[in-house]
Amino acid sequence: MKRSPNKDVLFGLYNDETEILSAVHKAKADHLDIYDVFTPFPVHGMEDAMELSESRLHMAGFVYGLIGLLTAFLGMTWIFTSDWPIIFGGKPYWSVPAFIPITFELTVLFAAIGMVVTFYTICGMGPGVINPTLHDRITDDKFCLAFDVTNASDADKSKFQSFLEKTGAEEITQKQI
Amino acid sequence: MSGHISPIREPLITGAKTYHQITEDICGPTERMPSRAWMITFVLAVLGLAFYIFCVTWTIWVGIGSWNLNRTIGWGWDITNFVWWVGIGHAGTLISAILLLFRQKWRTGVNRAAEAMTIFAVICAGQFPLIHMGRLWLGFFIFPYPNTRGPLWVNFNSPLLWDVFAISTYFTVSLLFWYTGLVPDFATVRDRASGIRRKVYDFLAFGWTGSAKHWQRWESLSLILAGLSTPLVLSVHTIVSFDFATSVIPGWHTTIFPPYFVAGAIFSGFAMVQTLMIITRKVLHLEDYITLEHIDSMNKVILATGTIVGVAYLTELFISWYSGYIYEQFAFYNRLMGPYWWSYVGMMSCNVLSPQIFWSKKLRQNIVVTFAMSIFVNIGMWFERFVIIASTLARDYLPSAWSYYSATWVEIGLFIGTLGLFSTCYLIFTRVAPVVAVAEIKSILKNAGDQYVGMKNAHKEHAHAEVEAKSGHDHH
Amino acid sequence: MNAFTFESKHKTFLIGAMILGLVCLVLSYFMDSEPMHVRFWSNYLHNTVFFTGIGFISMFIIAAFTTAWAGWFVGMKRVWEAMSLFLIPGLILFIPIIIGMWGHWHHLYHWADAEAVAADPILKGKASFLNKGWYTFGTLIIVGTWIYFAWKNRQISIAEDEEGEGVADNYAHHRRLRVYAAIFLPIAGFSSAAMIWQWVMSIDAHWYSTLFAWYSSASLFIAAMALTILLLVYLKNQGHFAHITSNHFHDMGKFVFAISIFWTYMWFSQYMLIWYANVGEETIYFRHRFDNYRALFFANLIMNFVLPFFILLRNDNKRKYGPLVFASVLVFIGHWVDYFLMIKPGARLTAIEAAAHHAHGHGGHDHAEHAAEVVRPVFDFAMGFNIPGLLEIGIMIGFLAGFLYFVLNQLTKASLVPQNDPYIDEALHHEVWPYPASEDGGNHHH
Repeated sequence: MKRSPNKDVLFGLYNDETEILSAVHKAKADHLDIYDVFTPFPVHGMEDAMELSESRLHMAGFVYGLIGLLTAFLGMTWIFTSDWPIIFGGKPYWSVPAFIPITFELTVLFAAIGMVVTFYTICGMGPGVINPTLHDRITDDKFCLAFDVTNASDADKSKFQSFLEKTGAEEITQKQI
Repeated sequence: MSGHISPIREPLITGAKTYHQITEDICGPTERMPSRAWMITFVLAVLGLAFYIFCVTWTIWVGIGSWNLNRTIGWGWDITNFVWWVGIGHAGTLISAILLLFRQKWRTGVNRAAEAMTIFAVICAGQFPLIHMGRLWLGFFIFPYPNTRGPLWVNFNSPLLWDVFAISTYFTVSLLFWYTGLVPDFATVRDRASGIRRKVYDFLAFGWTGSAKHWQRWESLSLILAGLSTPLVLSVHTIVSFDFATSVIPGWHTTIFPPYFVAGAIFSGFAMVQTLMIITRKVLHLEDYITLEHIDSMNKVILATGTIVGVAYLTELFISWYSGYIYEQFAFYNRLMGPYWWSYVGMMSCNVLSPQIFWSKKLRQNIVVTFAMSIFVNIGMWFERFVIIASTLARDYLPSAWSYYSATWVEIGLFIGTLGLFSTCYLIFTRVAPVVAVAEIKSILKNAGDQYVGMKNAHKEHAHAEVEAKSGHDHH
Repeated sequence: MNAFTFESKHKTFLIGAMILGLVCLVLSYFMDSEPMHVRFWSNYLHNTVFFTGIGFISMFIIAAFTTAWAGWFVGMKRVWEAMSLFLIPGLILFIPIIIGMWGHWHHLYHWADAEAVAADPILKGKASFLNKGWYTFGTLIIVGTWIYFAWKNRQISIAEDEEGEGVADNYAHHRRLRVYAAIFLPIAGFSSAAMIWQWVMSIDAHWYSTLFAWYSSASLFIAAMALTILLLVYLKNQGHFAHITSNHFHDMGKFVFAISIFWTYMWFSQYMLIWYANVGEETIYFRHRFDNYRALFFANLIMNFVLPFFILLRNDNKRKYGPLVFASVLVFIGHWVDYFLMIKPGARLTAIEAAAHHAHGHGGHDHAEHAAEVVRPVFDFAMGFNIPGLLEIGIMIGFLAGFLYFVLNQLTKASLVPQNDPYIDEALHHEVWPYPASEDGGNHHH
């Protein structure tokens, strides 16, 4: 699954996370619109620098967990009180303490699967998905700052170019992705 | 950043690594031809696996009668092995989840391999309840699904069914956690590969790009999965302990079982991680990432959990006397003095006494001693389960039902066979995936690399500062 | 402001609260519907165990964190040092209970009554552990040992302020602290169980549960952590501990959250296993509490699990004073109630039995008859047992005031920030991902 290229980006590579962090801060100060930043590992402070909104994945997880909890608890309740009540070990049909282990397990299972699926879906990833990458060293030791230049004027392009040069980027390249 | 790291913390990455070197060192083994040592071990492992398949086939063909279980002792090696493997399968999640929440940075060197080990150990564990059923082809009956028998449901009140849910949830969540951690590292391997390998890793890497937003979500996801896995890992061995503790059998029915099983699981899991890491770091030349400091820390965990398990053993022993309940008292008398006294002695000496040598830092950092100890602990924890299961069952309420049990070659073969299954999986893993979490190691480099932190650098800075202060004085 | 002064108006206030507690304690001696002045004695024991236990757990926290190379807690460890020294007054508080036991002033423990033991084969079996001698010397020796470690830890920690040379002497003081911490942990593990069995579990003298010691220690851990949060919030409002930021509160909140779940796990494990197996000797404990103390039975779970779980689930709530303080007050009282529920029902039964025994004279109760008497759930409502009355609340306030007076007084004796601790720099720049370290006080949130 590979999508056809539809975007032009101009990017530069930095050698250290401190360099790219200060470049991102500077770009924000200069009101330059960053397309994205690509790094080999999660850079501490990047979400603040890029002014990314807080991830709401945990909210989704809470909802999935709640669904799992209700499924398990209500399911067992229904089965053992109305669908096929059987006495086990002299316990009442509705034996709450005995339902708790399975309720807990399904809560965790639903939350985990739900969140992982959500994560890959909203990130546009999955088995067999091939997203365009800008440079092979990004997953190794280079830190990449990219600008979207699809509809940019030449003046804008040169502004981005000189910004990348000034902030210490190397291998400044334009690429269609 | 590195400015606020205490000088007293030992570096966790040695050899003054750069980011690129880290990539080279860790991804390298997946790109080279395997060494001869790997080949030989792999052949042995596959032979073990083949023997396992043979023994399983034998068990199914001949029936459970090929085992030595009897009416008194209905659980023997099979369930002992099950509990043993599940226990081992706890260290991975513990290292990745609980140590992540406790911000123990040394986990980064070993978490990937430990998580892999967890998954393989749970696969091994899952075999035994299934084989133990006898009629393996009806194994799917354990799942609640709409059926034509009513539908007749499974017994949700049974701890054995809780086990089904616990183990399958644990396996699934561990797998998701492990794989999500692997995705960025697969991308690293992908971007270094070409040809058919590139295609394979393109698939495995799920289209990872390293975008800032993705990293943010990835970190958030890792943290939440860690938060979920922590109670999960506790619940799994807890539920395994419920298999015993919900009964009314003296020696099994005791309330300390849940946390005591969990502590034992962590204990044996860490021992297995030590066994594997000591070999792996040597064979794959990862001594700079899995340092003596890592081994030292894990030995401390072994010492701590060994002692916790010891407290639990003595608590059980004491309370059995304290209870004033003669059957309870006899159960423990039987453990110590009964026909299986040797397994109680083995358990006590391997699990409680021998780890006490780790009070010495010198021994904690000694590779040979650590390796030997890790094997001891594994044996001791096997004994523990055997003590709980077989020695308890051997002495029933009615003396006329008392019995003794020793395993047949089939049962022993199944155990040895799962070691083959486990080793085969682990050996394949070391060939296809980075055995140390590449991205995570890079993210702690500046806080834990030996060119940045540690007493040596602190002394240098200290001396430097003193010289400056002195020259400052001279100027005046 | 690293030096702390204990202002006289605060002293006066706390002394007033202590006097209130004392008055309530004395009143509970007389205002008791149950025999043997059990309301007074059980109140006294309850609070003594609870606050001494918090002192013990504070030392445990220091030892565990030091051993685990934690850096973040160093900025507040002086508070835990001060709290751990409460073991000294704690030991003194036990003396009246011990003397009372020898002097037969109270009937808190059924096994302390020689006649009862003689008529009871189960108690006879336990007599080599449950006896006055062990109780006395166990308490003195074990609490004494804890005090030694708390004292030593405090001494070295303060010496480090003066004499520590950091890198130059290779953090010699800290390394000594580590050794004491590591030795303390196994000693604490073994000895605390023995003490809990004697002090608390043996009140229900026939009953036993192997998990009990771990369960009740988890309870104390949360109470100690919650009390620390409250104390730090108070001291911060007084202008001290400026270096303790919402990041530190976040981590303490996490501990309250996580250990609350752990406590629930222990509670459930103990309850469920006993419920499931349904062995009469064991279920009696919960049967009695469920039938006759139902309000507390459920209050315990709601205060210590349901509410803190939902309040502290959100990260923001662990960083804001409002929800954090609310949750801390809740679980502190919650675990006090948990101990109440461990101690009161058994103490009341023992007193009623002892009174009946005294009334019957030397009647030959055989065992079956004896058990039947215990099972009979025909108790009327008794203030101070079925729920904590105003007197109990007053007594708790009195003990708490005493505890705080002692701790605040200890805080004046050393710098609030340890000076030469190797981790102090980490503690002062502590941050919890994704929150930066600079954020202060928990009040910046919108």
